[in-house]
Amino acid sequence: MYVRFAKPTFALGFLAFLQLFLLAPAARGAAVDENEECLTCHGNDSLSVTLESGEEAPLFMKRELLESSVHKSLRCTDCHAGLDQVPHPARHYKNLAQFRASFGEACKNCHFENYTKTLDSVHYGLQARGDLFAPTCVKCHGSHDIARPAQPRSRISQTCATCHQAISDAYAKSVHGHALLMEQNKDVPICTDCHRSHDIADPKNRAWLMNTPALCGKCHADNRLMGKYGLSTAVVSTYLSDFHGTTAAFGAKGRKTTDEPVVALCVDCHGIHDIGKVTGESAPAFRANLVKTCQKCHAGASANFPAAWLSHYEPSLERAPLVYMVRLFYKIIIPFIVGGLLLQILLHLWRTVVNR
Amino acid sequence: MTRNSDNVVRFGTRDRIEHLLVMLIFFALALTGLPQKFHEAPISKTIVGLLGGIAQVRYFHRLAGVLFAIMTLVHLVSILAAVITGRSSLAMVPGVKDFRDVVTTLRYYLRISDVRAQFDRFDYKEKFEYWGILFGGLIMITTGFALLFPIEATRFLPGQIIPAAKVAHGNEGLMAFLVVIVWHIYNVVLAPEVFPGSKTIFTGKIPRERMRHEHPLEYARLFPEEAAELMGHHGAEPATKPATKEDG
Repeated sequence: MYVRFAKPTFALGFLAFLQLFLLAPAARGAAVDENEECLTCHGNDSLSVTLESGEEAPLFMKRELLESSVHKSLRCTDCHAGLDQVPHPARHYKNLAQFRASFGEACKNCHFENYTKTLDSVHYGLQARGDLFAPTCVKCHGSHDIARPAQPRSRISQTCATCHQAISDAYAKSVHGHALLMEQNKDVPICTDCHRSHDIADPKNRAWLMNTPALCGKCHADNRLMGKYGLSTAVVSTYLSDFHGTTAAFGAKGRKTTDEPVVALCVDCHGIHDIGKVTGESAPAFRANLVKTCQKCHAGASANFPAAWLSHYEPSLERAPLVYMVRLFYKIIIPFIVGGLLLQILLHLWRTVVNR
Repeated sequence: MTRNSDNVVRFGTRDRIEHLLVMLIFFALALTGLPQKFHEAPISKTIVGLLGGIAQVRYFHRLAGVLFAIMTLVHLVSILAAVITGRSSLAMVPGVKDFRDVVTTLRYYLRISDVRAQFDRFDYKEKFEYWGILFGGLIMITTGFALLFPIEATRFLPGQIIPAAKVAHGNEGLMAFLVVIVWHIYNVVLAPEVFPGSKTIFTGKIPRERMRHEHPLEYARLFPEEAAELMGHHGAEPATKPATKEDG
């Protein structure tokens, strides 16, 4: 017996969203009924179809998988639109990748906002260029076994590692990754904290790169957060007030794109995914390596050169006494000279008025 | 020194060109330098944007800086040559009299005394500005080149001289800018005696009356008969006369 149910055909996500609230109690029972209907065939573990490429597309659906999904109250046809007739209308797929990609747009009916964000992502760019292996919603989120993405937080890096294994390995060894994986730290950034989740930008994009000081500053200029770990929040301000940071803050723009000056960003000295500790026992190693780091851009820099950068410290008598003294000298001399000259001007004006 | 009816030539062509060039270069350096020092100010972002971006601004700044260094070098070499050939003028050299003049002037301003300081070719304000821009300029050139060539500068010197040079360069530049904006502009443009501005440095000529008032000792040296005549008639009067009444 086949019972046909009204299928939501609302194109707009918010209507579908409303429907969840308005119709959900009544629809839930109906959804279970429909899903049972589908499972009469798709519950058969030998069910599959052979595609033009000769690949087998398994059509078996494990009941337990559906029941553990966050979407268990949805109907199969809510996502698998156009398949509410049995037998299903004939469709043609060249290969498995194309078959899977055909469900790529299914999520937008409800998750319209996140869907539109993905349109700006580097992953969608690949998709738009015809890459059938480019990540779609289900590549990251899973399909029938969909679960909350960041529970636990480390699940996010595992998800990205599916494709970005080498980066994930480097991250796991970094100060951030180590704290996440070994200490279940809730403050360290996971992949999506820097790269964002749906509107993932191309990290080679210059505008995105130029934004890295602000990106790192989100946490490293936060007094409360850094206070927990005894880290200085002056790292961002000292960077911005130095030559490299000022260049970055001005957008490092040249008249033509080819004129764009090279500018050292946080990641150029500290690394990207393999960011290490620069305090405590790691400090000597980092410092010993500093000349080499500088030489990446400043060819021919001598062992004296790294000291030209005050390592994010404000000049003081203990650190950089020369810089401190020069600064102090001008703090005194400028008001003294300019104030003295202004006073002379005022006296001169006063005497001129008195003479009249 | 040329004489005509009411003007006296004060500056030669060379001085006038030198001032004009320094003026233009100074303006270019301040315009491209101050936004780098005050990089957080919104106006700095606007200026840098209008000039074509930070790379362009730095290019202009370095170009102007090198021109300034060349001008300073030419100036110093010509002074050296003048000293060697014995044709050098000592008019700009500060002496004890200049310090006495400061005291006399301050006493006059404060109405402790009605005696005004009598100046020769250059008064203490002019000497202060000249030596200020010369020594300040040397600091700017030295620190500027250290910042332009940090790798070379730290080959034998400690790395710390680079951030120290940056602090010195920015602050010395700011001080020079403030002194020019406040003191120089007041003395040559806004002061009641010269308002709406003395043209002497551009034309080379100073009105005879103003010269007699502002540089009486030089005037007396140049025109001894006239000065003697005036002294005979008025005694010490010019010195106590209100400044504004003598200037056109």
